[in-house]
Amino acid sequence: MSQIDEVNRQLLQQRLRWLYLPVIVIFLLLAARLWQLQIIQGAGFAEQAERNRVRQVTLVAPRGTILDRNHTPLVENRPSYNILLYREFAKDLARTGSFLVEKLGIDPGDLEGILKRSRSTPLYRPLVVKEDVGMEEISVVEAHRLDHAEIQLGPQPRRLYRYGGLAAHVLGYVGEVSDGELQAAVFPEAAAGDIVGKSGAERFYNKLLTGKDGRKRVLVDSLGRETGLMDRVEAQIGGELKLTLDLNLQLTAEALLRDKVGVIVAMDPRSGEILAMASSPAFDPNRFASRLSPAEWEDLLSHPEHPLQNRAIQNAYPPGSIFKLIVAEAGLASGAVEDFTRVHCSGAASYYDHTFRCWASGGHGLVDLGTAISRSCNIFFYEIGRRIGIEKLADHAGLLGLGQRTGVDLPGEKAGVMPSPEWKRRVRGTKWYAGETISVSIGQGAVTTTPIQLLRAVSALATGGRLVTPHILLSAEGMPGGRPAWPEKQLAVAEENARKIREGMWAGVNEWGTGNKAAVSGLDVCGKTGTVQVMSAERKKELAKDVREYENHSWFVGFANRDNPEIAVVVFVEHGGGGGAVSAPLAREIFESYYFGEQRRTLLTSLVPPDREEER
Amino acid sequence: MSVERRSTGGIDWLWLLALVCLTAAGLAAIYSATEGTSLSGYFQRQAVYALAALALLLVVLYFDYHLYSDLVVFGYFAGIVLLVLVLFFGKTIHSTKSWLSLGFLGFQPSEFMKVIVIVALARYYASVDRERLGLAHLLTGGGIVLVPMLLVVLQGDLGTAMTYVPLYAALSFLGGLRRKHVLVLALAAVVALPAGWMMLRDYQRGRIQTVLDPSRDPHNLGYQTIQSKIAVGSGMFLGKGFKQGSQGQFGFLPARHTDFIFAVLAEEWGFVGSIAVLGLFTVVSFQMLRAAREAKERLGTMIVAGVLALFLFHVFINVGMAVGLLPIAGIPLPLMSAGGSALLAFYAGMGLCLNIRMRRYVN
Repeated sequence: MSQIDEVNRQLLQQRLRWLYLPVIVIFLLLAARLWQLQIIQGAGFAEQAERNRVRQVTLVAPRGTILDRNHTPLVENRPSYNILLYREFAKDLARTGSFLVEKLGIDPGDLEGILKRSRSTPLYRPLVVKEDVGMEEISVVEAHRLDHAEIQLGPQPRRLYRYGGLAAHVLGYVGEVSDGELQAAVFPEAAAGDIVGKSGAERFYNKLLTGKDGRKRVLVDSLGRETGLMDRVEAQIGGELKLTLDLNLQLTAEALLRDKVGVIVAMDPRSGEILAMASSPAFDPNRFASRLSPAEWEDLLSHPEHPLQNRAIQNAYPPGSIFKLIVAEAGLASGAVEDFTRVHCSGAASYYDHTFRCWASGGHGLVDLGTAISRSCNIFFYEIGRRIGIEKLADHAGLLGLGQRTGVDLPGEKAGVMPSPEWKRRVRGTKWYAGETISVSIGQGAVTTTPIQLLRAVSALATGGRLVTPHILLSAEGMPGGRPAWPEKQLAVAEENARKIREGMWAGVNEWGTGNKAAVSGLDVCGKTGTVQVMSAERKKELAKDVREYENHSWFVGFANRDNPEIAVVVFVEHGGGGGAVSAPLAREIFESYYFGEQRRTLLTSLVPPDREEER
Repeated sequence: MSVERRSTGGIDWLWLLALVCLTAAGLAAIYSATEGTSLSGYFQRQAVYALAALALLLVVLYFDYHLYSDLVVFGYFAGIVLLVLVLFFGKTIHSTKSWLSLGFLGFQPSEFMKVIVIVALARYYASVDRERLGLAHLLTGGGIVLVPMLLVVLQGDLGTAMTYVPLYAALSFLGGLRRKHVLVLALAAVVALPAGWMMLRDYQRGRIQTVLDPSRDPHNLGYQTIQSKIAVGSGMFLGKGFKQGSQGQFGFLPARHTDFIFAVLAEEWGFVGSIAVLGLFTVVSFQMLRAAREAKERLGTMIVAGVLALFLFHVFINVGMAVGLLPIAGIPLPLMSAGGSALLAFYAGMGLCLNIRMRRYVN
């Protein structure tokens, strides 16, 4: 070996030693990284691996059933399927998209909108791309379970309103909780995407009706295909509600309001149980069970008769002559009316330089309280109202619940207005004119009431002094005690005074009164009619047009039987005409149905065609 | 030229055992990742390849390694011809045209060419008996490496082409570099880098970008890196157990039997298993370094160093990719990833090194 060779060999050995460096550095670096991933961050990655593998599927709980008082189901659930898109498993979104559009008929614009809106939703949360699909779509999704595992069927029980639009305003409808409702925490337990009650009992008793969602955890592979079931927690159906409604009476009421705009409410005056509540026009809540298209919404909202509105509680009207009952009570209680009180009616009277007329231009002659009620004499009540004075009148009206919500267990109730000088100052900023008292005495002027307020006030007169809380809930599963305790108010109506008013109401129906079209042979019906002038006769003549909007509103409030009241009824027909001519006969039908329903049932069912129109 | 007992130190059994252990661990991981899936054929095929590789190692071991350096010129040109043939008749798999079909058998000439290039370059540098290499030597050596490397680049397989760089660097370093030549080479690399970036395809550029920020696009490019990190990390200390790794079993890991086999192993055997495998790789590396130092002459040292550079680079890139340190490149894990060509080529290389170790005594 030469010397040069030896030098070269040594140099090579020196350089070789340097090669230890990359070997050691690389292995230390990789080992350190493994330590970091597996030991320091290991638990976090283990959780991610678990989340990768497990898909949680929400099992939507069906809402509770709603029954009528005789245990007839009014609202149930039907099974349905939504098409869900799991974006985390959509490896090729373009391919998935074209599948959804071509095979499942989803509008490309809609799909784009859904994807755009959900950009901030976590990828593992499924998106509903189509709701309530038919058998055809279900089989397409099933057939592509393996090659399109990112598309799944999501079962969702949907509300089924057995009788379509029947009692729509009482039952209400459901829909997806809105962003606004979420922000305002209207439903504290609801999360985005949940179905909540939007109106009626569905809304008022949402918490009771809402079940407890279950969940299913399935193991999936990287393409989202199920490889096994991990666990399953079944959904719990919501609580069952039994309403006070009587299906047959409700059917009768709705049949009577067919082609009319108005309200019929029947209530047990002793307890406040609402037996029937019909508001016309109505809507079919089944239409809301699936997402409503914007056009359908627009249609419902812009409908001139506002079918979504429950006129029984959400609209206040001038009470007209019904208010005379309240004036009578106030008069008796305040001493303004005595047994001997008589007022002469000549068809008109003059107060404060203004002529006030009776509806009977010929006059009623000398009238006492009973006649004034039965014949609905304006002049008598002008005079009584003047004697009582507005302050006292407002107090007594307040005691009978006017100008206040009744507390009915339905959302959106209006309070109406019982005017007083104090009210006028506060709301209008002007002083009270004495002439206004005269107008208010016959239920005109600023006074407005909801139908249910009048029904409640008259019920108090019928039973002799108890102001009940009208309600629709008879009993409920999951409620402490099974049934709610409704507040009641003991009234300062003397039984003697109530009896005198009842007598007038009895005469109004059964003698020569305005309400005799409400009379039912064999029953002692008591009642009071009201006709609200929307436009004066002169003005109507001037316009010389026969338009519905110029017609009078028609009222009837009554109960039966006089000595043993079981049912009180309010009938209101918007622009229907005279109270005695239009509303009283409708009330009679309700009384007949209530007392003699069994014999009439066959006739009634023939009145209601099986496929009811959605709006009448 | 049979094995002469006097001139041999026998087989380095520790080294061979480490090789067999690594291959066995690889087979177990392949079995775990593919059994019961549409990929289930891979295990049996790989087992056959492993036996063939072991046989190849023994064959390589049998003849004195000088025979191979004497014949390497033929091997080199035959390799070039095969690489050219691949360009025309090759099969494209995963956008890389590197497969040559021999009827029922397909193989990748580029994997074998790496070992041939090592022997060729080692022989050339060994013949330069000077303190340091001259520029002409560096350029000639560069040429030996560059021709097959460019052919592999033309196949579209940048990852494999990259593996030629460390062996050129390692052997040139051992041959002796002058400072100015290092500067020239560094300058050439700086010039070549942007050119290389331009040559990259979009998906390749994306792979590099996503290493810098894996969450940038978790569904396409970063997805694989993230899933691999989840697999490795979720193995924690002891691992989830054989065939219990959800990431590997349910297909969240891409290319789990080939490029990401380490992630499968790390998920199922945890930190303990990962470090054990790294340890085996370290044992092999140290045995190679020892063989290089104790080799009979420059040729032997150079060959072992070249195989070590190739081996180390593969381990670093592959594991680095599995643990999310390096961009995704289709570089197999030596001795472990499913794939016959790479396994046979590495065993041939290891056979050469064991051969040099065995015949280390000057006689």
